[in-house]
Amino acid sequence: MSGYRIRKGKEIAFFLAIAILTLITILPLFHIIATVFINGLPSVAEKGFTFLTGTLSEGGIGPAIIGTFVLMFLSSLIGLPIALLVGIYAYEYPDSLIGKWTKTLLQIMLEFPTILVGVFVMNIIAIPMGSYSAFAGAFALAIILMPYVAVYTHEAMRQIPFTYREASFGLGLTRIKVIFRLLVPLSKRGVLTGVLIGMAKVAGETAPLLFTAGGLYQSYSIGIFKPVGAIPLLIYTLVQSPSKVDHATAWGASLVLLLIFLLVFIPVRMSLKEVKL
Amino acid sequence: MSDFAIETKKLRIYYGENEIIKGIDLKVPKNVVFALMGPSGCGKSTLLRAFNRLLELNKEARVEGEVLILGKNVYGNGVNPIDVRKQVGMVFQYPNPFPHLSIYDNVAIGLKLNHLVKSKEELDERVKWALEKAFLWDEVKGRLDDYPASLSGGQKQRLVIARALALKPKILLMDEPTANVDPIGTRKIEELLFELKREYTIVLVTHEPMQAARVSDYVGFLYLGKLVEVGLTREIFEKPKHELTEKYVTGVLV
Ligand SMILES: Nc1ncnc2c1ncn2[C@@H]1O[C@H](COP(=O)(O)OP(=O)(O)OP(=O)(O)O)[C@@H](O)[C@H]1O
Ligand SMILES: [Mg+2]
Repeated sequence: MSGYRIRKGKEIAFFLAIAILTLITILPLFHIIATVFINGLPSVAEKGFTFLTGTLSEGGIGPAIIGTFVLMFLSSLIGLPIALLVGIYAYEYPDSLIGKWTKTLLQIMLEFPTILVGVFVMNIIAIPMGSYSAFAGAFALAIILMPYVAVYTHEAMRQIPFTYREASFGLGLTRIKVIFRLLVPLSKRGVLTGVLIGMAKVAGETAPLLFTAGGLYQSYSIGIFKPVGAIPLLIYTLVQSPSKVDHATAWGASLVLLLIFLLVFIPVRMSLKEVKL
Repeated sequence: MSDFAIETKKLRIYYGENEIIKGIDLKVPKNVVFALMGPSGCGKSTLLRAFNRLLELNKEARVEGEVLILGKNVYGNGVNPIDVRKQVGMVFQYPNPFPHLSIYDNVAIGLKLNHLVKSKEELDERVKWALEKAFLWDEVKGRLDDYPASLSGGQKQRLVIARALALKPKILLMDEPTANVDPIGTRKIEELLFELKREYTIVLVTHEPMQAARVSDYVGFLYLGKLVEVGLTREIFEKPKHELTEKYVTGVLV
């Protein structure tokens, strides 16, 4: 009887320990979200819709929002096709020289300080072209996006049970068809998760934009080879200013960035249908 | 044209340094159910995958000797394994319909990707035909857009059979198709074999001697990578020539 109670007691203690640890890990996350809402909501509410559409002098962050979407779009356009192909290649030819190298290279790129990517792109694009530009910013972001997408794609493909590979080849299909028409669609949930994580990462990046994108907050003159703004970059700039108004705008911008995350990524992530095996 | 659907000559298969199939000469006549039986690990699945060159997906595997499919050595120079696999369909030990495709698309995908049909009507027709052949049509005709996860193990396996039949192969390789199927599903698949052998040659791998006795016309007994005995099923089960075969069919050897 007492043996049972001791066992039961241990179980409860263990459960409590896990619960507390979980709470400790997720608490900062909630704290961040709460802080952003508490500080950001008043400044957004004060300006109303102008906050989303107006230029900085009108008290809004419209150009930065557009800039963030432009940068996400361009960097995806540059980075996604390459990253998907690299991930698929590393899966299909794991023993090839290129396959082995890419895996190592991708791991390094994942850990690479993003500010150095910004410096690099400044040197190869912004300086030769003589100006900051959306293209340079997107290029830097693409470099950051690619390893995430490639690694996730590779990992998602590797999760496919061998039997589906056999079944695909058993139908007398070429390797290209097996991969692109059967195996990639089969692992689309994993692949798209990688795409989303890569894009989310890119949406929140500041450092690679510092010396590449330039910033544009007073007008909507958007162009690939013109300087462009971005929400995180704007926050970074505003926080350095001594003015209270700028700080308030920065909090509002933080809230918008957070909402973009929550509104765009979470529903998309959840709507990806799980493939039942 | 050869009289045999499949013929192997001095076939040896290695995984790295390990010799798994140790020199096999086998002849499978056309339009029969040929059962390949033997204890677990004796090399049945390996041998089967040599027939349609699916073994090549495994980088460790190496094949020596010849495999003649309808008289033609598939390991000869210039033979494209893709053509071999279109002629020689395969059903696997574990039912593996594509989980992300509907029941309909599981059957249609090979036809679509191989451009074997010209119109949507022809595709519909062929899908229905294949599902009927596999004795599955009546059970799924109302829910072709469902996913295979909603099917029972036996239905999944018949869906995989339909997927293979849709391409109209000459030969059907079946690797323990009932190993993961309940008794009712097993009976349905066994009945199906009687129908199918009129038009196809079927090589059925099984580790149950009783199944071989029930469904096959010919049987080969594989033991430790060697073909111990091969012949008409009735003869092998009534008076086996080899002591090992006798032990196996009476259940003494497992
Ligand atoms: N990919 C592989 N690499 C190395 N050895 C393998 C591989 N696959 C199978 N083998 C070995 O080859 C031998 C034959 O395996 P195989 O799967 O052909 O047997 P089987 O007769 O189909 O058995 P079962 O009835 O259990 O399915 C076994 O000893 C197994 O360990
Ligand atoms: Mg096997």
